[in-house]
Amino acid sequence: MTNTLIEKPKNSHKWKENIVNVSAQLINYVLILLISLIIGAVVMSLSGKDPISAYAALWQGAFGNKYRFADTLDRSTIMILAGLAGSIAFRTNIINLGLEGQLYIGAFAAAWVGFTFTNLPAIVHIPLCMIAGILGGALWTLPVLYLKMRWKIPELVPTLMLNYIAIRLTDYLIAFPFRDPTAPMAGSPLLEQTARLPKLMRGSTINIGFIIAIVLIFVTYWFLFKTKIGYELRMVGLNQQFAAAAGLPVKRSIILGMTLSGGIIGLGGALMIMGFFGRFLGGFSSGYGWDGFMIAIIAQNHPFAVFPAALFYGALANGALTMQSVTGVPQAVVAMVKGTLVLFVTVKVFVENIRKGLIKWAT
Amino acid sequence: MGNVDLSSILTISLFAAALRMATPIIFATMGGIFSSHTGIFNVALEGFMLIGSFFAVVGSVQTGSAYGGLLFAIVACLIASLVFAVLHLELHANPIIVGLAMNIFAVGMTNYLLTALLNVYGVYKTDLIVGFGVVNIPIIQNIPILGELISGHFPLVYFAFVSVYIVYLVLYKTPFGFHLRSVGEKIDAAESIGVNTKKMKYYGLMVSGLLCAFGGTFLSLSYLTMFSEDMTAGRGWLALAAINFGRMRPVPSLIACLIFGFADALAVRLQQFGLPSQVVLMLPYLMTVIVLFISAVFAERRKKSMQMKQNQIEIASPL
Repeated sequence: MTNTLIEKPKNSHKWKENIVNVSAQLINYVLILLISLIIGAVVMSLSGKDPISAYAALWQGAFGNKYRFADTLDRSTIMILAGLAGSIAFRTNIINLGLEGQLYIGAFAAAWVGFTFTNLPAIVHIPLCMIAGILGGALWTLPVLYLKMRWKIPELVPTLMLNYIAIRLTDYLIAFPFRDPTAPMAGSPLLEQTARLPKLMRGSTINIGFIIAIVLIFVTYWFLFKTKIGYELRMVGLNQQFAAAAGLPVKRSIILGMTLSGGIIGLGGALMIMGFFGRFLGGFSSGYGWDGFMIAIIAQNHPFAVFPAALFYGALANGALTMQSVTGVPQAVVAMVKGTLVLFVTVKVFVENIRKGLIKWAT
Repeated sequence: MGNVDLSSILTISLFAAALRMATPIIFATMGGIFSSHTGIFNVALEGFMLIGSFFAVVGSVQTGSAYGGLLFAIVACLIASLVFAVLHLELHANPIIVGLAMNIFAVGMTNYLLTALLNVYGVYKTDLIVGFGVVNIPIIQNIPILGELISGHFPLVYFAFVSVYIVYLVLYKTPFGFHLRSVGEKIDAAESIGVNTKKMKYYGLMVSGLLCAFGGTFLSLSYLTMFSEDMTAGRGWLALAAINFGRMRPVPSLIACLIFGFADALAVRLQQFGLPSQVVLMLPYLMTVIVLFISAVFAERRKKSMQMKQNQIEIASPL
């Protein structure tokens, strides 16, 4: 034991160590997923439903044919953006509980640009709407940032309060100033055709928003791990005092982390409105901000890990409806599975034990 | 809106409603204070309350009594807080993440059970739910203004105020409270005098679950006798703001709860006067941010004046 402390581990050792770490993580995730599904199954059985047919219907609904699969990818778009938004905030050691509110404001800003400006070519209109979404989401974080930076109020409660305010504000906007009486439910006017995202496949809702989300995964990775600003942001997140002592721009990093987080989820809202709904609908988000928060935790704030987690959440979102209509199992069971999953991901003891077990087994 | 005058809004019944609206927040706040003093910032208050209000309705239907409902809520909330405690204290999970996950889990679970057990979507409301009756205090109920203000409330309203006093007594006047607070203030010192810190943290979390059960029961079995999806509507978070405002002391936190209760009651009242509900319903949440802001401003002033005093002392005695 003392020898390993003095001698630097050789490259081959490090390589082996990496394999052990990665496989321990993978085993851990598979176990946690199983536990969550089992807990979901137990609850279903206790309430007199058949869990196996429910999960089968869920799978069918999410991956049954190529249209279902494409729809699942479409649902993953918002999950990816939400997960990235959560990850960037966590990387800066900010707990951004306001994703939901930033999503609403970003979505509304994009919708406003979408239905207000006419006679713009799509090549101008679409980016303009996306910029509006980003700005809307980012600006909505400013009150929280002011309270945090100037008055040292932790962001936890203010971000959450701004969610309620954002939802009610947008409800007001579509009920009075921007009401469209022809909308099936409370909603804004329809976006101009030039502001709608082109579809990728007939018979599915998938659109270029998905490609934008995939590109953004790589951009976020590049930003966090390959740029100086991203490095500063992560260092501030790891240890603020140390970062300050090392002369890193702490304030700038926190402001950047928070506004980027808000901007990305705002863009997510914009893409949903432009690609899926076609207009701003009151209460359109079924907790995507919270999904993003959970995805970031599951992905341990790594952009590449956000993708599988988001895909899983997208599949749950898409399959749950089928499950409910085919087997009568309420789709809320999905929310329970998600909650359990996150509860167990935070437990670090499991993965440590698996790692130790693997090392023992390997030597 | 021009003909709305203040005197028709600021009536005694408004203040009575404020006491009622403050009740669930007071319970959650007192519960949160308990765990905060052991050093755990309990963000699961919201979820605990939601679980409480759901099982209160279930218990009330099952037993045919509001007190039976309360009992169900207490058991459910104690189990939920035990899960939180085990995950954090035994399995070393981050308490904030666990708390948030519990909130999400609580919403999912109550929605699921609502549909799977009770066969309804969104709202459960039947005549089978037995709520609490109101308590008319003899003598006081006949005093004009005072009677309208403090008599004729539900029993849990009175108990909320009593609980503030009980929490104060337990925390500041008993050896148990002293040990509990020592865990949050200086855990090493607490351990050195033989306090079982883990046990204290268990107590803190369990008490916050217990009090959230009362808050949740009040929501679903008093003024309204029903359960609706996500019916806590952020009250657990208002409680966290109140704890922050009162710096974990029961009585100052109570003041914040009363402010929030008043904002809630005012929002309902203003709606009746034709103001758009969407705008008016922002009021409690805006008020929370404002209260946090004011408490931060005061905290900074206090800090400055303390520094000034310290400087003066240093000037007076060069040693």
